[in-house]
Amino acid sequence: MSEFFPFGRRASMRTTFSIGVVFVIVFALVPAVSVLVLSFTDIRSIPYIPVNWIGFDNYVTFFSAAKLGYNIQALLNTLVFALAVTIFQNGIALLIAVALNSKIKGRTFYRAVVFMPTVLGVTVIGLIWSLIFNPSAGPAASIWKLFGANSAFFGDQHLALPLVIFVQIWSGLGLAVVIFLAGIQAIPEDLYEVASIDGASAWQRLRLVTIPLLAPSITANVLLCIVGSLQSYQIAYVLTGPNNPATQLLSLAIFSQTFGGGNASGSSASQGYAAAISMIQFVIVGIISLAVLVYLRKREARM
Amino acid sequence: MTAIENQRRAVSVRSTGDTGSTRNKRRGRPPVTVGQVISYIFIAIVMVLYLFPLVFLVNTALKSNPEFFSNPVGITRTFDIGNFGVAWQKGNFAAYVLNSVLYTAVAATLSTVVSLVLAFPVSRGYLKHSRLWYGMFVVLLFLPNALMTQFQLLLRLGLYDTQLGYILIMASGLGVGPLIISGYVKSVPKELDEAAALDGVGYWRFLFTFLPSLIKPVLATTFILQAIGVWNDIILATIMLPDPAKSPVTLGLFAFQGTYTSQWGLLSAATIIVATPLVIAYIFLQRYLVGGVGGAVKG
Repeated sequence: MSEFFPFGRRASMRTTFSIGVVFVIVFALVPAVSVLVLSFTDIRSIPYIPVNWIGFDNYVTFFSAAKLGYNIQALLNTLVFALAVTIFQNGIALLIAVALNSKIKGRTFYRAVVFMPTVLGVTVIGLIWSLIFNPSAGPAASIWKLFGANSAFFGDQHLALPLVIFVQIWSGLGLAVVIFLAGIQAIPEDLYEVASIDGASAWQRLRLVTIPLLAPSITANVLLCIVGSLQSYQIAYVLTGPNNPATQLLSLAIFSQTFGGGNASGSSASQGYAAAISMIQFVIVGIISLAVLVYLRKREARM
Repeated sequence: MTAIENQRRAVSVRSTGDTGSTRNKRRGRPPVTVGQVISYIFIAIVMVLYLFPLVFLVNTALKSNPEFFSNPVGITRTFDIGNFGVAWQKGNFAAYVLNSVLYTAVAATLSTVVSLVLAFPVSRGYLKHSRLWYGMFVVLLFLPNALMTQFQLLLRLGLYDTQLGYILIMASGLGVGPLIISGYVKSVPKELDEAAALDGVGYWRFLFTFLPSLIKPVLATTFILQAIGVWNDIILATIMLPDPAKSPVTLGLFAFQGTYTSQWGLLSAATIIVATPLVIAYIFLQRYLVGGVGGAVKG
């Protein structure tokens, strides 16, 4: 039942609320639900050609011998990418937030610098790091040379994914730091004083005061990061293109399947198959984030 | 989330803004501790990782193409600023930046307003089935990747390759907006609604003029998170806006990179041309940006 409404008639509330709901339904919910429907068809990106109902064929294709190796690789890449980004981004962000909170000079500046990649945007970030990791003449190549090694960096199939992970963390760190810092500053100062009087070391203060009291921020950050990184592909796209097997992520595969990328001609790409990949990804993201959410909430309650 | 928690957070957000300078002015500062030394070293390493790439970018932009090939890593000797002129002429970046600003401002504003309009009555329980609507906000976070259907939708609505279509799609991804707004609204006492209503303030006037001034931090956060998403988008723009004249700056610069592959001096100059207005705007806005995001994000 609804609560007492002080503003007289509810018509005005209903009007704006309905406009909002219709907007979200038309542009977000309907497309999302239609993905499921499209995944059972052979719809292509050419408009107005007949669309046939083909049942589970797209899903069968996904697991067919011809595609399975590639798809498993994309899935593994996605999981490695998400796991590494989540762990390192949050771990490093927490350390930076703690360091910035330890009354050092110029912390507004440091915080601003770490947050800056967010403002620069993915293409600028992509260009900067392509320049640094330019295999023929970048500074990273000079460092490699010092050790007598050379590498194709983003062109090296073993190194490409770790480098994309590194750049992803570099760009996403700022947001995580800012969220952690706000959480840390809400922790009452006297708790640290009491801990110091009791003889707690800096490490113990971090482990026994900061981290437990930061639990809600950690939950928010980890969850944002998992959901984000399982679905993110912009950095991989600008650094290594849409069809590099070494950095193929599920969401990037959806993009290149939908619009051809470099492989097929754009107009004939099967969007039905892309929709099937999208549904498979959706189920994976759903399961993982629910499991993590339940785990983190339990952990919060324990602390 | 209780009102007290929210108030405390609001206070902490405000204090994030200052540099801690007031603390340093206090006489008789305690001596530097081991922890602080470790912090300084750690932060110094982080700063190198963030600032070196930018410095190197500027250094590269100041090299002519022959110099880059003879001396790719060293400090520039020629200070050749010709790259900037060429990049500016060929890149059309002013138009791209303007496009991006338009998309970001309109889409982020629209989605913030929609989030507010949805979140307020649900948070207050003024609607039937408020819990159900709240559930919908959560569902919105986990929607599948709908590139192909959004593309088909725009195609069928005749909005494909239009700026309006792109903005509507970008704005419709509300993300955490409705959730964090409805969380924050709970810290505004309900008596305020009643008092305003008694004074003859209508629902819309309350929602669009009174309430926003009370929940500024969370509106700023919603706007900024959304703006970051739109500003950084490259995939949806690639799909929905094939006309290069409508490209946002992400796409414009990416296309430029495709055309002038390995002319690193030129590419670096182009990157700087795109990045400089952003960095300048960011220097002025960072207080609000960074403070605002920290203010209201919470699970």
